Amino acid sequence: MNDLMVMVEIAGRRCALNAHDVSSVIELGVVTPVPRTADFIAGITAMRSQSLTVIDCRRALGLDPDKFPTDHRGAVVTIANHSYALMVDRIDDINTATSEVENVSGGFGPEWSRITTGMVETSTGPALLIDLALLIAGPESLEAAA
Amino acid sequence: MDDLLADFVAETREMLEASEGEIIAWEADPTDRARLDTIFRFVHTVKGNCGFFDFPRLASLSHAAEDALSDCRAGRREADSALVSAVLAVIDRIVEMVDIIEAGDEIPEGSDDALIAALGENSDLAAGEIDGLSDLVGAVEEVAAAIESAEDGAVEDAAEGQEAPRAVSQNAGVQRSIRLPVDLLDRVMSGVSDMVLARNDLAHRLRQAGNQPTIDGPFERLTTILSDVRDAITRMRMQRIETLYTALPRLVRDLSADLGKQVLIDLEGGDVELDREMIETVRDPLTHIIRNAIDHGIEEPSSRLSKGKREIGILSISARQSGNTISIVVSDDGDGLNEERIAAKAVSVGLITAAERASMSRDKILQLVFEPGFSTAETVSNVSGRGVGLDVVRDNLERVGGSISVSSTPGVGSMFTLKVPLTLSIIAGLTVEVGDQRFAIPQSYIEEIIDSTSKSLDFTRVGETALITFRGNRIPCLSLAEVLGLPSTDIAEGEHTMVLLRLASGDLFALAIDRIHHHGDLVVKPLAPAVMNCGVYAGSTLLDDGQPILLLDVTNVAAEHGLVSDARTRVLQAANQQDQDTDEALSRAMLFTDYDGRKRAVRLELVQRIETAKAEDIDISPDGKRAVIDGVILPLVGLPEGQKPTGKIRFLRLSDETCELLYAVREVDDAIELQNALKPVEDDPLVEALTLVDGQTIALIDGHEIFARYGEPPELTSKPTCHLPDSDWARTILGPLVSAAGYEVVSGSDEAGDIAIVLDDSEPDTSLTEGEFIRLRSQPDAANNDGSIYRYDRDGLVDALRRARAGGTR
Repeated sequence: MNDLMVMVEIAGRRCALNAHDVSSVIELGVVTPVPRTADFIAGITAMRSQSLTVIDCRRALGLDPDKFPTDHRGAVVTIANHSYALMVDRIDDINTATSEVENVSGGFGPEWSRITTGMVETSTGPALLIDLALLIAGPESLEAAA
Repeated sequence: MDDLLADFVAETREMLEASEGEIIAWEADPTDRARLDTIFRFVHTVKGNCGFFDFPRLASLSHAAEDALSDCRAGRREADSALVSAVLAVIDRIVEMVDIIEAGDEIPEGSDDALIAALGENSDLAAGEIDGLSDLVGAVEEVAAAIESAEDGAVEDAAEGQEAPRAVSQNAGVQRSIRLPVDLLDRVMSGVSDMVLARNDLAHRLRQAGNQPTIDGPFERLTTILSDVRDAITRMRMQRIETLYTALPRLVRDLSADLGKQVLIDLEGGDVELDREMIETVRDPLTHIIRNAIDHGIEEPSSRLSKGKREIGILSISARQSGNTISIVVSDDGDGLNEERIAAKAVSVGLITAAERASMSRDKILQLVFEPGFSTAETVSNVSGRGVGLDVVRDNLERVGGSISVSSTPGVGSMFTLKVPLTLSIIAGLTVEVGDQRFAIPQSYIEEIIDSTSKSLDFTRVGETALITFRGNRIPCLSLAEVLGLPSTDIAEGEHTMVLLRLASGDLFALAIDRIHHHGDLVVKPLAPAVMNCGVYAGSTLLDDGQPILLLDVTNVAAEHGLVSDARTRVLQAANQQDQDTDEALSRAMLFTDYDGRKRAVRLELVQRIETAKAEDIDISPDGKRAVIDGVILPLVGLPEGQKPTGKIRFLRLSDETCELLYAVREVDDAIELQNALKPVEDDPLVEALTLVDGQTIALIDGHEIFARYGEPPELTSKPTCHLPDSDWARTILGPLVSAAGYEVVSGSDEAGDIAIVLDDSEPDTSLTEGEFIRLRSQPDAANNDGSIYRYDRDGLVDALRRARAGGTR
């Protein structure tokens, strides 16, 4: 409750990232592709002298990013000592969560249920709270679990 | 904690460190008085110091140990292994208490009677008692562990500075050292890395802007300082693996005594340096493997004797650095791993099926011991059965990018190989291009770069495998574009630039790339696990312009394509290598095409380097051509007459060890072997002989003649000096003229020159030169014929200087 959330849009859906996890939002400049890796890894890019792995969140869900707009900015998050930049449709604002994390009976659909811890209410409406560690594991982890 | 107490803790630790080894040595030879004295002194000092403080448990322990030891000293008692064990246990307890004191906690209530009793004479119970105490020790260990973690992962760091302040020494160890959080070290490290990047960027811009003497100087200095700082920082993080070794003899001793086995430990490669953090990472796995080796590997003395082995088992640990990896090999001469038992266990826990087992090689089966949920020990002992399996060991190593493998021969022993990266985060590397993407290759792998235009490169395909033939060897070839699954470029097959890479195993392969970009220091940053998992990359690095690129994992790429040979073929290769070495007695020559389009060759021994220079660096004057290379003026031959070259020119830099000269070539072909007969040539003195190479007539340059005609020692070293009078006119007007005439200008009364110039009537000072004096006069007309030259008579002066030079050098 009352946690700050960075509101983003992924594959046309409103999602929330815990503002604690997001260290900054950067312009995604040149993204160097990384051959031979899973397709949700869009490449690597540099933030100052640090290198970031760019994750295309749409692909990480197993969805096609070409159907959605892509923000020229990325949200920088740090998971297990590695920094990632998240490529999303749009980065909105920072909002306050007005409810606890809730679950909805019936779930959010298999792709979404995999990467979320539940739904939070915000002043701009309900949003899916993204679990970053699950997100960066990519769609294969779903198949592996199945 | 007050200063007095801090001193006490520091002193105790210091003495303990010094006596640790002594205790083991003393046990080996209980009659050794010197060793006994050292240990006695330690216990005695602890006892004495306790008097100042209120530590009754510490006092009674040290008192009891002192009593027992002084009996030994006085000859009233023989030192036996029970006594040594008891003394060791007491010392361990003392250390634990000191840890608690250091943390500022109260020493918990408890009894040390059992320990003290064990010190007593004729105590057969001693060993058992000590075993029983291990629970207690375990509890104290936990406290110690808690203290460790409270210190927030601090590491000890040797301080460069003088006498660390006393306040710091509260936590200080033996040497003048301070503790620093790893975080801080990392920050400094990444700061330096960033500085290297900024420097590279600046260097890039400076190159673009051209030479700027006022900036280049300070920039050079900055570069030097930066590389010094970088070295220091790298060392700060490095530690000799010895620090890991010191604890091992004690560990082995305790374990083998516990298990009734006799084990000799052999440590090698203690001077190998490893990142501090990496040492900590390796510590647990190494301990685990040693425990395993002693518990399961090495047999009991009786069983060893019955197998015809020495009753003392040997456990050897050696560390080696190869490239960016440290290998630590732990081998024992015990019973070896039991393939059948491992396989049976693996089948029973469902790791593999019986059918799979049948098709698996012994080596594969052995590696199963690293799978989760695996332990072959039938009885879980308190030594190796601590619920931590080898799977955890493997996981811990893999987390830092390392690996572990095992090989074993039944009845002869087993060998565990741990590999960990050096985590030197700055390495030299080559940047290459494929398509429009760049990748980096660590310099340490690169054997040679073969230019795409080189004629010596023969590219063929055998089946799907690409092979290149280079200097008579067939070398497997990988296309980087194919390895990475990139679309192939428009460069025709076989026209690629090849990078020959030599793996740590000695295997050689070629990697076809489109272009070489540049080479320099690369700051390697770790990659996210998702990227690491694909096994092609070892890290990422930033280019001068801040663009990130990927560092290739050469070993993995080679392994993936089956290019890493096993040990047997490696032996064969070494034999072949020797054959080749004997062939090398054949004389070799460098084949090139000169500016008249003729193929020529020059003996390889003469060729020092291949140089490239811009046309502007070449000076053509009536008495010959010269070019500036690395700030040295060298004579130049091989350019056609009366033709000013343009663009970039390649030279062979030839040397007869004193003289050097440049031979301009249109194209450098390759090194060849002079296999066919040499046919002397009469009409062209510059040609030593003609010979056949691949059916073509090649003229071999006559080294003697070419140096006799054109050779001269590098200009730099042969410059004569000329002493000038100390005046503004001499400095600003005369000086440049004198330097232009090929002299180095010196002035001032304390420097002598090869010749000297004096003005008007001033007395020639013989301390200034041993050579000739040239006298200049201010008036155009000579008053008397004194051999002086009017100071603006340029021709006369230059002529005089030249004559003096000829005289001086003759």
